[in-house]
Amino acid sequence: MNVGRILWLVKKEAALEWRNRSALTSMLVYVIGASFIVYYAFEGHITFQVWSAIFWIIALFSAINTIGKTFDKEVTQRFYYLRTVIPPVELILSKLIYNAFLVFIFELVIFAEMSLFFGIQVENTPIFLLTLLLGGVGISNLFTLFATITARTGNVVLLSVLGFPIILPLLLLILRLTGLSDVEVLADDRWSNVGAVAALDAITLVLSVVLFPYLWSE
Amino acid sequence: MYEKFAHQTWWKIATIILVLYTCLYGFLVNIPELAILEESIRNLFFHVPMWFAMMLLMFINLVYGIKYLSNGNARNDVIASRSAAIGLIMGILGILTGSVWAKVTWGAWWVFAEVKLNASAAAILVYSAYFILRGSFTDDEMKAKFSAVYSVFAFVMFMVLINVIPRIAESSLHPGNGGNPGFNAYDLDSNLRSVFYPAVLAWMGIGLWLSTQLVRLTHIQRKLDDIA
Repeated sequence: MNVGRILWLVKKEAALEWRNRSALTSMLVYVIGASFIVYYAFEGHITFQVWSAIFWIIALFSAINTIGKTFDKEVTQRFYYLRTVIPPVELILSKLIYNAFLVFIFELVIFAEMSLFFGIQVENTPIFLLTLLLGGVGISNLFTLFATITARTGNVVLLSVLGFPIILPLLLLILRLTGLSDVEVLADDRWSNVGAVAALDAITLVLSVVLFPYLWSE
Repeated sequence: MYEKFAHQTWWKIATIILVLYTCLYGFLVNIPELAILEESIRNLFFHVPMWFAMMLLMFINLVYGIKYLSNGNARNDVIASRSAAIGLIMGILGILTGSVWAKVTWGAWWVFAEVKLNASAAAILVYSAYFILRGSFTDDEMKAKFSAVYSVFAFVMFMVLINVIPRIAESSLHPGNGGNPGFNAYDLDSNLRSVFYPAVLAWMGIGLWLSTQLVRLTHIQRKLDDIA
């Protein structure tokens, strides 16, 4: 494994995204549009529970739309070329790092947007940011691997069919953790939740890296 | 190992005896007298073992999925997918028996406050998606490979859903969760236990036996297809 090459791949990914900004801007408009609709629908007042539910639903859909396209280019023209020059482990790691970064950025944008509309609802911001980070990593781990499956089948709907049930346990844990960032609760209760999400992130990361080569072979 | 086991007879005879024992003695055994629960406590011999059977079959699904990935033998894929099919049926039966029990004791077919109910419904969704994934391939080799990868994730999430999430949630109506006493607290003379443990083995055996029949059926079907 070559760390330099992984970083180079991440950079390449970012450069490609930046060169054609249509995907990024459309995601941005989607995120702003969705939170704006929510703002109107609830007439500006919202409880924290509803806030966190809507926050994660918008985040989930923006993630599934972005990550679903991860392997589109690779599968069509560059599949055989990439297979000969890059070990699959490095490819998946670069995709995971890039996607986690992207999902985290989207989450921050949604957070900023929803805070602008509804006021800052989160009492404990550091814990919430940690939740965003862990949640973003977990979502990206699961969806990136499943994006390979959908890219190889050419069936776009499949990602949501496979992705939503499988992300449910992670999402339940994240929602719980988000709930804990609102009220003052016992600290060790909170850390056991952080630990559960972090453990799930680690498991999905290891599984993605171990299983990706099987999906990436002919 | 599965295939060697599938050809042996002793455990099938044992399963028949245990199922008969469960169904007959399960309705005759003296039960602790409890308000609300009353006779419905006998559902313990049917509802709970379904989840054990599902867990066993999904574990076989995981192991044979990994075996397929390591050696590419199509027979492993057949074992993995047919086990998951029976496991899913066991899970649905677990939900149905649980729902009937919930109606009697908690007053509704479906209760939101019950975390295990929702988690197990999610587990069934996860494994339904496994069959949707299999259905979306025409190439057998890709189908086997991709669904094997999926089943590894599915098993991890299945374990999180039924083992981790119910433990950390504070609201649960199930015995032994959310501060409720478990059944051990009522079962002072071990009467329940004398049926419960055999019942677990009985329904696990039935699940395993059904899956071996389904595997055989698939092999016969494939041979017929080759001839035709």
